[in-house]
Amino acid sequence: MTTPHGTSTGKSSFWLNLNSLLPDHLLGRFYFLLATVAIEYLFVFAGRGQNANHHGFLGIVTDAVGQIPIFAYVVFLGLGHSRLKALKVKVSFGSLLFAGHLLCMAAVFAFTSAVRQGSSWVQFDRFSYAKSLIYVLGTLLLAWAIIPLGDWFQAARATGRLWLYSLLAGVGGWLLGIPVLMLWYSTSTVQSGMLQRATLYAVSVVLRPFLPSLFVDPAAFQIGTPNYSIIIAGGCSGVEGFGLVILFTSLWLWFYRKEIRFPQAFLLIPCALGCSWLLNILRLFALILIVSDGGSQAVEAGFHTQAGWISFIAVALGFSLATQKIPWMRVRSGIEGAAGATELHCEDRRESPAIRAYLVPFLLILAAASLSRAVTGNFDWLYPLRFFAAAIALIYFLPELKKLNWRFGWLGPIAGATVFLIWIAPSRLMPFWWAHQHGVSHLGADLAALSPAARWSWITFRVAAAVITVPIAEELAFRGYLARRFISVEFDRVSFSSLTALSIFLSSAVFGLEHMKNLMDWPYWTLGTLAGLAFAAALRRCGRFGDAVIAHAFSNLLLAAWVLGLGDWTQW
Amino acid sequence: MMKSRLKSALVILCFVLGTCTVSHAMVFGGRPARPEIDPSLAISGITLLVGSLAVLRVRRKK
Repeated sequence: MTTPHGTSTGKSSFWLNLNSLLPDHLLGRFYFLLATVAIEYLFVFAGRGQNANHHGFLGIVTDAVGQIPIFAYVVFLGLGHSRLKALKVKVSFGSLLFAGHLLCMAAVFAFTSAVRQGSSWVQFDRFSYAKSLIYVLGTLLLAWAIIPLGDWFQAARATGRLWLYSLLAGVGGWLLGIPVLMLWYSTSTVQSGMLQRATLYAVSVVLRPFLPSLFVDPAAFQIGTPNYSIIIAGGCSGVEGFGLVILFTSLWLWFYRKEIRFPQAFLLIPCALGCSWLLNILRLFALILIVSDGGSQAVEAGFHTQAGWISFIAVALGFSLATQKIPWMRVRSGIEGAAGATELHCEDRRESPAIRAYLVPFLLILAAASLSRAVTGNFDWLYPLRFFAAAIALIYFLPELKKLNWRFGWLGPIAGATVFLIWIAPSRLMPFWWAHQHGVSHLGADLAALSPAARWSWITFRVAAAVITVPIAEELAFRGYLARRFISVEFDRVSFSSLTALSIFLSSAVFGLEHMKNLMDWPYWTLGTLAGLAFAAALRRCGRFGDAVIAHAFSNLLLAAWVLGLGDWTQW
Repeated sequence: MMKSRLKSALVILCFVLGTCTVSHAMVFGGRPARPEIDPSLAISGITLLVGSLAVLRVRRKK
């Protein structure tokens, strides 16, 4: 039985359970709505390409107009945080509305999938309009389901005219986007493409002493040597780094505003932007220098894809460290009263020191993978770097890790074998679909081209990493830290037997994301999530960390045997 | 009070500007074949960043 708003009253245990998983206070529901819409948007629209037909909504480009409510909502939440938090109302959940929302999203996803499969019947404008309309309707139903209309009005009353200011900020943000475009669009106007021109000029200045044969074509934004040249397109001029850096720095300053001194901290934003631009010039400089000097196109591809992220991460980490370590930027310590109390409060919100032992091995694997791909190109011959990086970290943190229960029983290997069967099932049961989704792996051919000693050395480290370092590092990060961190900031005090359904599902979903080959690789996301659920289930059932590790290691061992035995290289 | 409002307004302005730039660069900018920030590496990149930030924000031992 359900109420008109759809709230379950007793029979429907599924909806009751779902309701119990949601935050019951208004502010939590607002954030939950934001997260759900963001994830759905990613699922439904990511990677749809540049086809204008997919943007149409009543003749308006939805990507542009869609920015207004997004900005407005974020501003509303940011500025209204404390007032919304003060509203102690118990919020119900609209199960019928939510069901309607799910139907709408299923329809939108079907349209999107059909477009990606190349179905011609969805290429007409009217289907794009229909898709956009259904998407908007589904999102409205979701907003109504999560926060009933009465609570929306109550939030509006409690926050005064904030909704109006937020809406104006949304429109202002959308309008700001137009002059921002001018920074890199290459048209006939004077100011257009100025970032491209500045980048082209800077790269030519630093390259000329090293490459006497350097040529520059300002009209085409082309630079290089007779052997190799690049075009500095709008997207390569540093503007993507600018966008991400501004986004990151503003979010950082907002979240940690109580720990940071203003207006000093604002000075760090232009510094971060300058660093981002200089690193992009260094990236282009290195790219042209490496390939012109005899480097292969494969190295170019690897370097090009990794260097941008490495630069952005370096700038973001530098910015966050500056706000934490430079005394002039921080709220002063050792002060009695409000500032001292604020610092103590901020200290309590920080992560437990145990986090280092749980996260560093996995982060080093990611960092080593990024660096090795940047210098190796298509075949990652530096893969052993990942093994050594994780092994050194695990040895370093051994005293902390000894506190965990590393014993295991039979359930671990059984879970591991089950995960292995689930993992290979799609490629066996639906080989054509799998091949269409993931293409052909060149790993076997790359290995065959190596000398026997090099080939077997690489395979030995690949298997050792898959069976030893990767399972330990990933289980520490996803089950040891993340699953328990969803329960408490003092995660190392949470027993594995008390993991909740929500913490297991969320940590497994993130674990699934890590196994995607690209942003649209939902088959591997599903498999990774199922694997995470199985490892977490073994952990929770036995309460011993060793069971999760052995399950993970056993599934990877079986997979390695499968790959090497059958030559099914797509699984690696 | 005025200083606090100004601080909030500036942070929001930065956020809006950043979102505009990312949105326009990645959707309307006409993505080059090899972009500056490769979206296919977003998951590992963001994980590395968020994980590193969490480790850097560790609490001082009492």
